[in-house]
Order: sequence, then C-alpha cells, then structure tokens
Amino acid sequence: MAQIPVLRDRCLISFSLLGGLILSLTVLALLNMTIRELSDIPHLLQVAADSKVIDSIILTMAAGANAIVILVVLGIPLAYVLARTDFRGKRFVETIVDIPLMLPHTVAGILVYILFMKRGLIGGPLYDIGFSFEDAYPGIVVAMLFVSSPYFINSAREGFEKVPVHLENVARTLGATRFSAFLHVVLPLSARYIYNGAIFSWGRAIGEFAAIIMIAYYPMVISTLLYYRFTTGGLKESSTIAFIMIVACFAVFLVLRYLSRFIGRHDDRV
Amino acid sequence: MIAFRHLSLTLGDFALRDVSITINRGDYYFIIGPSGAGKTVILEAIAGLHFPEKGEVLINGLNTTMVPPEKRRISLVYQDYSLFPHMVVEKNIGFGMKMQKRPRDEIDRRVDELLMQFGISHLRNRYPGTLSGGEQQRVAIARALASDPDILLLDEPFAALDPIAREQIIADLLRIHREGHLTIVQVTHAREEILRMATRCAVIIDGVRMQEGSVDSVFEAPESTAVARFIGMENILSGVVGAVTSSLASIDIAGVSVIAVSNVSPGRSVEIAFRAADVTLHVSDDQTSSAQNRFNATITAVIPLGGPLTQVHLNAGFPIIALVTSRSAEDLDLSPGMDVVAAIKASAIRVIENKLNT
Repeated sequence: MAQIPVLRDRCLISFSLLGGLILSLTVLALLNMTIRELSDIPHLLQVAADSKVIDSIILTMAAGANAIVILVVLGIPLAYVLARTDFRGKRFVETIVDIPLMLPHTVAGILVYILFMKRGLIGGPLYDIGFSFEDAYPGIVVAMLFVSSPYFINSAREGFEKVPVHLENVARTLGATRFSAFLHVVLPLSARYIYNGAIFSWGRAIGEFAAIIMIAYYPMVISTLLYYRFTTGGLKESSTIAFIMIVACFAVFLVLRYLSRFIGRHDDRV
Repeated sequence: MIAFRHLSLTLGDFALRDVSITINRGDYYFIIGPSGAGKTVILEAIAGLHFPEKGEVLINGLNTTMVPPEKRRISLVYQDYSLFPHMVVEKNIGFGMKMQKRPRDEIDRRVDELLMQFGISHLRNRYPGTLSGGEQQRVAIARALASDPDILLLDEPFAALDPIAREQIIADLLRIHREGHLTIVQVTHAREEILRMATRCAVIIDGVRMQEGSVDSVFEAPESTAVARFIGMENILSGVVGAVTSSLASIDIAGVSVIAVSNVSPGRSVEIAFRAADVTLHVSDDQTSSAQNRFNATITAVIPLGGPLTQVHLNAGFPIIALVTSRSAEDLDLSPGMDVVAAIKASAIRVIENKLNT
C-alpha cells in the first residue's frame, strides 16, 4: 500500500483526531488499570498463580473454542445455502440467524436455559441418559454457541457471496461435483472471511456472562469468577483478575490477527 | 449432437422462450444476438447449470435435461475467463483432471502438453492475477480442453482482447476445431467472427430463437426484420406486393416500385431488406448498370465512417443508405443536395414476409 502523507491531508488529519478519541478511551482505561496493577507486583503474581484463575481462563477459552468448532461445522453449510440460494421465506431465516444479536443477553440466557435445563425440551431427554447442561461444561458451550452464532454465519456468508458464481460453474463443468467445487474453490477463496468470523465469534463467546450464568454458574467462566470475587472480595482482587484476562486476550488475539495475514491470501485481480 | 427442444427458462428479469436449436457433432456453432439477449444463459443451460422449466436437452440422442454439469463432458469458458485466483496456471489447467481423479503422472503429462500447445510453458507457476488478458484466455481454454470435453462452450471469447491476442486465439481455436474434431459453441454479438469462423449459427433476440441454419442461409436470407437488422442489412422498408412475374416481384414502397427476386403472393404486406454495400451510386443514369432497380435520389447526408468507407444517405421517395469507398465519394464529389441514381440488383433485395401482417 502506498504511504499517504497524512500530514498534508486535512480530511485524514481530522478523521485521525476523531478516531483517536475512541481509541484513547480504551487506551486510557487500559493504562489506568495497568499502572494500578503493576504498582503491586507481588499481589499480581499471587493472583496470576491462583489455580482457580488459571483454570477459569483456560475453561473460558476452551469452551469458546469448542462452541466455534460446532459453529464452523454447522454454520458453514447454512452460510453457503444462504449465500447461493434464493427461496421463499429467506428473509425469515435471515432474521432467525440474527436474533441472538438483538436480544438482551439475559433474554438469550433464559431461552437457552428453558431449552437445555433438566426438564427442558432438549435438556430433559439428554439428562435422562446422563448428560447434563445445568451447571456443567456443555451448558457453557451451548450458551456461547447461541450468542456468537450470528457473527460467524454472517461473516462466512459474506465470504461465500464474494466468490463469483462463475468460478463455481466452471469448476462444475470441469467435472467437480457441487461439493468438490465448494471444497476446492469456494472454501479456499472465502477462508479469510471464515477465519475472521471465527475469531469474532470466539471473542464474543469468551465475553459472554449473562447467558452463561443462567444455565451454568459452575464451572465458573472468567466473567462469573470475576463477578463472584467482585461481590465477595472487592475491587482489588477482581481488578487483578480482569487485568490478567486482558493480557491473555490481548496476546491471543494479537497472534490470531497476525496469523490471519497468511490465510486465504490470493491475488483477486482476476 | 446437442439439441434443445422447446426450452423455456426464466432467470430474474430474463427469459428464454421456447428455444429449439440443433448443434451437430463437429460444428463450429455460433449463437448470436445483441448484448443482453440471453446468449450466456443458453451456454449455461447447455452446460447444465440451469434446469429448464420446460423442454428438454438432448446430447447424442440421450435426454440430459436433468444431468448435472459434472457428468456432461462439456467445458465452459466465460468471457471473464474465471480462472481460479488461488491456483497457479498449472493447477488451474490440471483442475478438471484432478476432479476426475486421473493419475498424477497423466495429469502432469497432459498439462505439459497443453502448456506447450498454447505457448504458455513459462507461465506455469504464475498466479492468474499477474497475467495479461490474452494469457488468461489461453489458460482458460487450455483448462477447458484438459478434461477432454466433447463440447467446448465459449462466451464472447474475444471481447476483452487486443487485436494481436485476438488473432492468435482465433488461429488457435480454428486449429483446435479442425484437429480435435471438437464441437465448439460460441456466443457473440460480433458479425465478423461469425462470418470467419462459424459453420452454423442461431440468432437469439430477446430470449427467442429467430433463425437457425448455415451461416450463408442466415446472412443471405434473413427470415425476419430483426435478424436482417442484426446481420447488418441497413435498409429495411415496408411495402405491398404488386405483380409477380417469373420470380420477380414488384413491390410498392411509398409509391415507388422496387423489383426483388421472390415468389411472394401479390397483395401481401412485406418488408424488404438490403445491404448498403449492395447499393451503387451513379452521377448520371448512363444505363451501364444491369441492376433492375434504378432510383433517382437526392443525397441527404454523407457520413465518413473513419476508414476506407463512407455512408451516404439518400431520399428516393423512401430513405436509402448506401456504402461507397471514401475514394469514390471524393471522386464523385458527393455532397448533400446532389441528385444521383441509386442502383440495386433485384437479387440483392431480400423480401421478408411479415407473418403478423397477413
């Protein structure tokens, strides 16, 4: 990309200043906390070594990743159908996909709870064969899955729509079945959108609180643990947990962002 | 052989209506018509990418209407080439064979052969985005041929090429057609390509097949004014048939009698069509021309076409467009207001019986 001499472009200068405001809010909040936390390093190390905190962070990220894996398997086919077909009631289906995006998280939590609780429509029969969602890992995954699904499905769909249908047509005339054409042409060309969609929805899953505690207070995801410590131990302890989570997320997402440079890169001048 | 029987198909705003065409093995078949006439959709329908609402597609006598594209052995090359941007040239060319699960060494051999044949061996490891239009076109055709299709479909293959690349591709395609005994179906709106390459053609206008046949029959004997206009007959006039004697019909056009070779029945409303190039202009009526039609006309406009030809618009009681060489326009000093004699042979005038006016 060509370097734009920003200082000579008034529009870019004003935009940068305005944009800087929103960034500075985040930076200020982060700095403020970082300075506070770094002023008491022994306490920071003690909390960081707390196995409950470590377990909770790992649990949160793992459950999020688990939800995304399910989402990828089920969401990609749906996204493809939405991208490539037109049918009566498509708007209706699209709205259903978007519903978790609009609902307050507590409402999402209630929806998930009623469906997956021990007496729920899905939770009931599964509980009978010894599979519980209430206060259990599957409950966390299913809540995360519900709230993060629109981000992934919409992103994958956008990626599929960007792949010219002519490429798929050509692949088919060359002897590829629709599935092979999807696998060898559509998927590689939309990999970037799928990857970014997965990162976004993972981030969304990790950040969920309200929907999760309604079905699974235990095992404690990081939000639950933080809230618990905040109400029982006070600000000092909870803010240190928050700080550790921030550092962990920052590191992970930085790496993921970096990796995205290597995914689905191709010259799209054609 | 590919045959469409009464095919109807709707796609958004566009519709093919009751289209029947027959393409024989070894034809270089052109589907022609103005832009937006649905030619690409017909190719996609031949390839099996659209299922028709009505009618059927027969390939080699078998009903293939519902056979999916991957089972038809028909390759399609789009106007935009549609190379796979994430694969280098050799992977693009080998794609079809890979999909057909051919052995690795066979694929390599065939890809090498095609790279040589199209003179693009040096591009084998390049990505399509770095290639010129002509190079992309070659890769696209090589890719289409790699899977050894029975039929090759080409969608406006020369539209985006510079003249030199175009000549090369035309030579390549004519060679492939001749040596490979391949059936090629090409769509275009360019008349020159048809006259140069086609063996048979169909004219499609507004989703309707207007005429089908050998190139000569379509270009010499258009059956409708729409086809006449499309194939470049600049003069199209309405009239009524008067007397007909020994295959010469006298047709009344705006009070002037025009003689044409035809066996049309007297009293009918018809349209006549002729090419501007078939009109010759004389400064005085010196009777040296053998043309049956000689009209006193006044020049209304002289329009140089920017090349060796000049268009002359005349009024002979009805409008005539004539084509002369720019040299003779200068020699005869043709200018608006000048009186000339326009001569047209009766055999150059095509009589079109307008079925709607009977």
